Amino acid sequence: MFKGLGHTIKRELSRWNSRRVYLWGMILVPLAVAFFLLDLMNSGLPTQVPSAIVDLDNTPMSRNLTRSLGSTELIKISDHAESYHDAMKLVRSGKIYGFFVIPHDFEAKALSGQTPTLTYYSNMTYFVPGTLAFKGFKTMAVLSSGKIVETSLEGYGISEDAAGTLLQPIVIDNHQLGNPWTNYSIYLSNSFIPGALELMIFIMTCFAVCEEIKRATSRQWLATARGSLTKALVGKLLPQTVVFTVIGWFLDVVLFRFLHFPCGHFGNMMLAMPLFVIACQSFALVICAVVPNLRLSLSLCSLTGILAFSIAGFSFPVDNMYGAIGIFSYILPVRWYFLIYIDQALNGIDIFYSRQYYMALILFFLAAAALAPRLKKRLLNPVYVP
Amino acid sequence: MMKRIKNWIFEVARVMRRELTLSLTDIGVLLFFVVLPLFYPLVYTLIYNPEVAHDIPVAIVDDSRTADSRQLVRMTDATESMNVIGYASDMAEARRWFDSKDCYAIMYIPADYSRNLGRHEQSHVEFYSDMSLLLRYRAMLMDLTSIQLAAGADVRTQTLAPLGMAASSMSGSPVNNVAFMLGDTEQGFASFIIPGIIILILQQSMILGITMLGGTSRDRRLRNGGTDPLAVPATASASVIGRMLAYVFIYLPLTIYVLHFVPVFFSLPHVGSPLQYFPFVLPMLVASAFLGITLQIMVKEREMSFPVVVFTSIVFLFLSGLTWPRYAMSWLWKGVGDLIPAVWGMEGFIRINSNNATIFDNSDCYLMMWALAAFYFLTAIWTTRHLNRATRLRRHS
Repeated sequence: MFKGLGHTIKRELSRWNSRRVYLWGMILVPLAVAFFLLDLMNSGLPTQVPSAIVDLDNTPMSRNLTRSLGSTELIKISDHAESYHDAMKLVRSGKIYGFFVIPHDFEAKALSGQTPTLTYYSNMTYFVPGTLAFKGFKTMAVLSSGKIVETSLEGYGISEDAAGTLLQPIVIDNHQLGNPWTNYSIYLSNSFIPGALELMIFIMTCFAVCEEIKRATSRQWLATARGSLTKALVGKLLPQTVVFTVIGWFLDVVLFRFLHFPCGHFGNMMLAMPLFVIACQSFALVICAVVPNLRLSLSLCSLTGILAFSIAGFSFPVDNMYGAIGIFSYILPVRWYFLIYIDQALNGIDIFYSRQYYMALILFFLAAAALAPRLKKRLLNPVYVP
Repeated sequence: MMKRIKNWIFEVARVMRRELTLSLTDIGVLLFFVVLPLFYPLVYTLIYNPEVAHDIPVAIVDDSRTADSRQLVRMTDATESMNVIGYASDMAEARRWFDSKDCYAIMYIPADYSRNLGRHEQSHVEFYSDMSLLLRYRAMLMDLTSIQLAAGADVRTQTLAPLGMAASSMSGSPVNNVAFMLGDTEQGFASFIIPGIIILILQQSMILGITMLGGTSRDRRLRNGGTDPLAVPATASASVIGRMLAYVFIYLPLTIYVLHFVPVFFSLPHVGSPLQYFPFVLPMLVASAFLGITLQIMVKEREMSFPVVVFTSIVFLFLSGLTWPRYAMSWLWKGVGDLIPAVWGMEGFIRINSNNATIFDNSDCYLMMWALAAFYFLTAIWTTRHLNRATRLRRHS
């Protein structure tokens, strides 16, 4: 019974031997992309945003403000611009991501109670540095005004403690669950690395199956499996399942054990990986069954694999997408894997809450099992359409 | 001499005509060259077009149960980003809502909230937020900061007014502060990411198409004993220039569509002058064409362009600095990014398109793209010679 299967696996392994693309697509690319992302965002948060200060006041108070701004973690004062116009020029040439303007007579007005206005500009065309610059500027503007209030209140005879409280009577303490450092690598690597894995599984599955049709070797392939499509497909794809799962597990160990990214239930993540790999293979197999043509199936898989990075809601929430668009996120295995990651690793909650996500990954396999028999006719009459 | 130049120009023209025919009659290549630039920008913008994360469900645990705490909850509910879904009786219940994804954040108002305010002591409110998507967290954080300031100012007024202090000078703030957002004034996600993505689409679709053409030509050679019957005899330089002209020619109308009409369709930021951004992207198209021809060496058959090229889009997206800024990259990744035409193209185009910059402001990007065009022209010539030589050798053996 297992004879055909063993021969098919052996045949598949010898194919890997003669084609470098398997080594490339299954091992090199996933590992290289993972290394790239993890090394790129190693520091966690791109602080020290290059910014400029436009000091039109030039008084001890304004210089003090400039110094405080430069000493914050978020902001790096890389330029002193003479005017708004000069600072805008620096923004337009990409040298700075924001600037802070201290108006004329700032000190005089502030001390005489005439309410001067501090303005700050953040370039939001680059979201992360723009936001960080905004945050740094705003904190400094609020603090500097607070300092003046405190001095005045104390002048009225209010005690230092009471003045401090009056400055900020209500404090909203923020607790960032799972990622208290707002670490960008934790946020992006955990979604983009599985996304890259999914893309390569899609491509390599299509490649392995439909290449047989292109080279008209599909009949021989079926014959090796004693004419059983199930044995043929399992024999071809099982070795890939093993390789991709091992790569996935290795990446899990790197992320959660070596880099210590938050992971509540490591075992549940390891359990999700083979299910995810099989779901991705099943997805690609369904596409192969619907369009049994090497180029078309690869095109479809690449298009969906790349769109997955956007539509699976890694950065923009699916809840806020248009319903007709957002619904497509659920046909992608990586969406379910991402939801499992949020529950099991980031938030570390009970697996009960993720049960549907695990089920969904299994459903992909059932869909492939239902649709794959369509392939058989095409495998018996291979026609190459370029 | 003149005759040789004339011959060379004729060669270029013949190569260009043949390459146009080959590209425009190949459905697989047309998918990359035409369909991808036509529809991908639309799909991407539709995904991100809602722009902001709004009405994120938030649960409240209010142990204070006073007018003050209810006022705070009303302020929270009134923000754009947050939507109060209800009061949980205790943290355990709120946590259950959170775990079942009924809410993405919990606000806990302690029992002494109102009492502390009355005693002129600081009142603390705890806010727990889900960190799976930073966009959600960012939206909530910005609104929470405003709430904290506004609620604080109210309390200050109430406290100081009876003491007879001038409300304007003390209760409010002695220094106003005004924030301006440049480029993407509404801080929308589509407005931020689409101007960069469309440039990357231009480069990547072109490289995919060119490598597919190269792979198809190698398939033909394999079938025809080492020669491509559809290739035009030409020197390497004429062949490279001719093909580049064909690709750039196909991409000119698409570039106008992608760079001008897509932002207009969706009213994304689009303040730059066409006289700035069209000349600006020209060297990127030229460099991408040469880069594509160079990469043909890695694509040994028609369909091999997928496993070789597709994943690079993710890498290039990150190298461009759109998600992780270039100033925070190590010299290695910055150096790798320097070699990618679209990295410079995205940087410059975003600033021209959204910040109304000029080519002159971005002369470094512009010159770098021409330098890359020159560099990849040389590598393309080398690739072409290498492929031709390999073919000749095979024919002799």
